Amino acid sequence: MAPILRTKDLKFKDFLEYPDIEVEQNICTFITGASGSGKSTLLRLFNQSISQSEGKIFYKGHDLDEMDTIVLRQQILLCGQAVFLFQTNIRENFQQYFEFRGEIVPTDEAIKHFLNLCQIDFPLNKCCTSMSGGERARVYMAIHLALNSEVLMLDEPTAALDPENSENVIKNVLAFCREKGTTTIVVSHDAALAEKYAERKIKLGRENLHA
Amino acid sequence: MRNIVKLNLLQFGVIYLLLILVLIIMKKAKINQTKLLIVASVRMTVQLVLAGLLLSYLFATPHPIFTIMYVLAMVVFSVYRIFSKNRWINRRFKIYIILALTVSGVLILIFFLKAVVGISMFNPQYAIPLGGMIIGNTMTGITLGLKTFHENLDSNRTQITALLDIGATPKKVLLPFVNSALESALLPTLNSMLGMGIISLPGMMTGQILSGTLPLTAIMYQIAIMIAICTSVCLGVFLTLYFGYQTLYNRKNQFML
Repeated sequence: MAPILRTKDLKFKDFLEYPDIEVEQNICTFITGASGSGKSTLLRLFNQSISQSEGKIFYKGHDLDEMDTIVLRQQILLCGQAVFLFQTNIRENFQQYFEFRGEIVPTDEAIKHFLNLCQIDFPLNKCCTSMSGGERARVYMAIHLALNSEVLMLDEPTAALDPENSENVIKNVLAFCREKGTTTIVVSHDAALAEKYAERKIKLGRENLHA
Repeated sequence: MRNIVKLNLLQFGVIYLLLILVLIIMKKAKINQTKLLIVASVRMTVQLVLAGLLLSYLFATPHPIFTIMYVLAMVVFSVYRIFSKNRWINRRFKIYIILALTVSGVLILIFFLKAVVGISMFNPQYAIPLGGMIIGNTMTGITLGLKTFHENLDSNRTQITALLDIGATPKKVLLPFVNSALESALLPTLNSMLGMGIISLPGMMTGQILSGTLPLTAIMYQIAIMIAICTSVCLGVFLTLYFGYQTLYNRKNQFML
């Protein structure tokens, strides 16, 4: 099957040079590598929230340079490292996110389902400001899971979670995506997690760096 | 109608004696700003004497070109002040600021002169002081609006990034910041309207009363100028931010600040 995402001679500024990368459809790809090897940058290039200085990225054969970036970001969804939640309760956070995207807000049952997948067991009117960092990260991930996308990119999804939660959340999220046919790309430092859940691994090395 | 007591130079000089009192207090309280006090007093005197001479000349030999140039100079100075206090703005944003200040200030001034006072819009005795008040206040409003806008964008980067990442349009993401900055830029003007006549007799009205204008005429002018200022601030800040925010993202909908 043709890869869903493919890069060619990709460079970012003058210090990151990527090998040509292919991401296959409907499977889970882990991107690993040392800090500074350009993992998060690669995800930001995939959703074009930053631009490459050289090279091309193709999504389903289309050159990203020629795509509407709004449509692109809805299809290739990045769940970034910095968690942002509105200062209100869980339900209204879902509402806000969906309204900002111009989409219909899911029902309470659907929201609860997504929260469960992310190991959150709070009433929907619980205020997000009183939650711990790990809880907020999981609510944030649940929102991104609920936003429909072709590709879901998770940047260090388990950084704020304890090992037990990490394991369960990743297991559930990946199972859900597999069933729905969503391609997942996970950037993680956690080697054990990658070993267990990656269907393909891409390792970015220091050799990409040009100081 | 009484006329104002003309100040002769000797009498006028007496007022500077009060500064000695300020100096004594500053010395006692060990405030090390003696130099600033002297510089400020001298600069104020020189600047106002120059302005007085210039205005005397303009009133004696009125010409539309002079009036236009004076108002233009006010606009240029205001724009320069706004730029120097907001180093972060890009070139396209700067052009919008120039347009916003000019359009709002000049339009409201012309409306005031033609529709309310009903005189030639080149009459320097009206156009220059009223223009100064309208343009000066609009400048303050735009500066405040830009400062608030920038601070809010800066402290909410996570929000902006998160929302752009889910595929929200920059317009949707940034407009709330435009609106809240517009609100905070308007509040000082609205608050000063609230206290007017109770907490203070405003400057223009005081001046007119001192020079012998009937209080009821003076208050009409004051009310008119306050509404004009309020409108010009609102319009100026709105145009600045509404067009300016669109320079903060590129064709690929990337936030660039």
